[in-house]
Amino acid sequence: MTEYKIEAIKTFDYEKSVIDKGYANKTLLVDISNSDISIHPVTEKMKEVFIGGKGFDLWLLWNAVKGTTKWSDPENAICIASGPMGGTPVYPGSGKSIVTTISPLTGTVIDSNVGGYFGPYLKFAGFDALQIRGKTKTDIVILIDGIDEKIQIFETSGLPDDSYALSSTLTEHFAQGKPRNISVVSTGPGAKHALMGCLNFTWYDLKRKRARYKQAGRGGIGSVFADKCIKAVVARWDRVSVKTNNPSDGIALKEVGKKHSREIVDLDPKQNEMAKIGTTHLVTIMNDFDLLPTNNFQYGQHPEADNVGQEVYRRIFDTGYDGCWMGCTVACSHGVKDFVPLTGPYRGEKVFVDGPEYETIAGCGSNLGVFDPHTIIEMNFYCDAYGLDTISVGTSIAFAMECFSMDLINETHTGGINLSFGNRAAALEIVHQMAQGEGFGHIVGRGVREMKSIFARDYKADLNIMQDIGMEAKGLEFSEYMTKESLAQQGGYGLALKGAQHDEAWLIFLDMVHNFMPSFEQKAEALHWFPMFRTWFGLCGLCKLPWNDIIPEDNKDTQEPAKVMKHVEWYTQYYTAVTGRHTTPDGLIRMSEAVYNFQRIFNLKMGFGTREHDNIPYRAMGPVKPVEYESRPERYDKELVEKHHVDITDMSTEEKIRTLRKFRETQYEQLKDAVYKRRGWTSNGIPTIDTVTRLGIDFPEVLELLNAKLGDDQG
Amino acid sequence: MIRVNGKRQFWYEGMTIKDLLEDLEDSHHYAVIRINDKHVSRPYFEKTLIPDNSEVFLISLIAGG
Ligand code: SF4
Repeated sequence: MTEYKIEAIKTFDYEKSVIDKGYANKTLLVDISNSDISIHPVTEKMKEVFIGGKGFDLWLLWNAVKGTTKWSDPENAICIASGPMGGTPVYPGSGKSIVTTISPLTGTVIDSNVGGYFGPYLKFAGFDALQIRGKTKTDIVILIDGIDEKIQIFETSGLPDDSYALSSTLTEHFAQGKPRNISVVSTGPGAKHALMGCLNFTWYDLKRKRARYKQAGRGGIGSVFADKCIKAVVARWDRVSVKTNNPSDGIALKEVGKKHSREIVDLDPKQNEMAKIGTTHLVTIMNDFDLLPTNNFQYGQHPEADNVGQEVYRRIFDTGYDGCWMGCTVACSHGVKDFVPLTGPYRGEKVFVDGPEYETIAGCGSNLGVFDPHTIIEMNFYCDAYGLDTISVGTSIAFAMECFSMDLINETHTGGINLSFGNRAAALEIVHQMAQGEGFGHIVGRGVREMKSIFARDYKADLNIMQDIGMEAKGLEFSEYMTKESLAQQGGYGLALKGAQHDEAWLIFLDMVHNFMPSFEQKAEALHWFPMFRTWFGLCGLCKLPWNDIIPEDNKDTQEPAKVMKHVEWYTQYYTAVTGRHTTPDGLIRMSEAVYNFQRIFNLKMGFGTREHDNIPYRAMGPVKPVEYESRPERYDKELVEKHHVDITDMSTEEKIRTLRKFRETQYEQLKDAVYKRRGWTSNGIPTIDTVTRLGIDFPEVLELLNAKLGDDQG
Repeated sequence: MIRVNGKRQFWYEGMTIKDLLEDLEDSHHYAVIRINDKHVSRPYFEKTLIPDNSEVFLISLIAGG
């Protein structure tokens, strides 16, 4: 191991708050420009309106930035929060941290929900949320030590660059013999050079005696972290029990927690076996339904998909308990032991790889035309170690590969790399270049939106076709589901506040396979309820998987099976047991609605957040190129003839594509209208004054902003 | 004999997933079936034979993601 120096430049002693009904009632502000550390109260109003987690993050960030703030400005803050239920060991999925910042990819707010122990440890150390502002020129590490009640800033040199070695070095450094007391947030060299940097949050795996990590992947939060010269933020805390979060009613909490935990233990083996194979079962299922993104979302199926499906990863994953928070019975965070990379700085060494999950397999595998599990694991390992988001990396390389296949770019631009689909070595080489900020990888690391401009400006590539095939919305690369045949899921991506991520709404099966929502109004209702309910997990410090990835046996007999209302009821009991505030299923939606609308208004503040910003590339709606149309001719011909009554007898494929496109684009605009109406927004996608007043977010600044924007619309 | 969601069920040579589901009232809910370790999706229900002594699990895949 290389020698490193770590020297305290500031120590701030404090007295830890007593946790009361899930809240520390304080936030911590660290301004790294001048090593200023301060503690701020959480008001009752903050709790009432913003609940916690992402809500607190957004409020802190809103107050930190101006409408003109850029991602790399010192005033841009990184906010990390748990939530009132965060840190509960008896309820599955209760250890999430929610991170927000102004994104380098989108220019507006990004949020990411991540596992690991950091959020709960931060709260138990006395802070519901942490806000880091400012910038430094030398590498620093911030320690939040809830055991010794001190916050420290260290100047460092000689620490490892990559997150894999860095997180384990810092775990050991601060552990004082108890590594489970430590959670490290860090990134790697990729985040310094690319805009799609992720953050790795650790949890200590007692059985395997190593720091494991989960990623706050989306939107380049790691790039902001690296740009600020933060090497790591470390939280230190001691044992955790139900009492640590001091719930209002511990007995009720244990009761409902046990019910949910037990149900998972009983039913997961009968359903998707997430405790054994994580989310890898989705690969072949998506492939069977023509939904697995292949070759930059051109196709939804590939004959080799089985090679990277669950049957293969079941054999590869190391067996053992893989919960990214204590006591989570879903325990889906699997990894690969003794993996030996064939390339890069760890070539030939045995490493432990956290993952891969479905998104990584599809993003760094099928979407690149790669169906080799080893390459996917290697991509997974290096993306994590370099601090890069596997989804944006995958979707960006896929876009570059398609541009290469269409001669929009060629080897003179790629530095001699043959970027054909399926070229595994090329995909890995791009990732290594991203980490070094060199070669064509440096350009790919700017993301799809910027690549389109660079290719058009510098290589004279056709911008129109790139707009159609470049899979980003609001600047964020699409996560890995095909949406061509699901209008509701097109909305799930396009209308999502942060950009094209499916965490607000995953409606493909409901819409396309089960056909449960044929009308625009039904789709709009789904695009209201699901984003709101899913938002709620981020307010409370929870993981959404236990809600609907393992479902009760009688769920199908309920009125609205997709909502899994039995679990929603349990969540109301859980919320009440911790906070002491009574609530109902509608109450949970109402909590989220306030924060959700506030985030939409935050987008407005940053110069986005109107109808045009909810557009998606045509590739997400239908076939762009004749090869795509011709791969599913019956499907598209049938739609033209039976649904739109078009006489296609003498039409060429190009004409059919143009005609279909008009119908599908019109449908998407109609969907926007229906969703905006349901959400209480104007036809330009702006929350009305009535909506913000109803939700209690009618703060003077909000009203001023809305009045100006609504006035512009009318003028 | 096979087991379907833990309950014993009569089995016959040549039984497909489609055959199994035909006897169930709520078959439209199931988009995916797991036979032992292997997931089979609806497009393949008709062609997939269920081996004797299988553990079969019915999965709706209505939620998730
Ligand atoms: S369900 Fe999986 S991702 Fe969610 S908390 Fe549990 S182990 Fe972590």
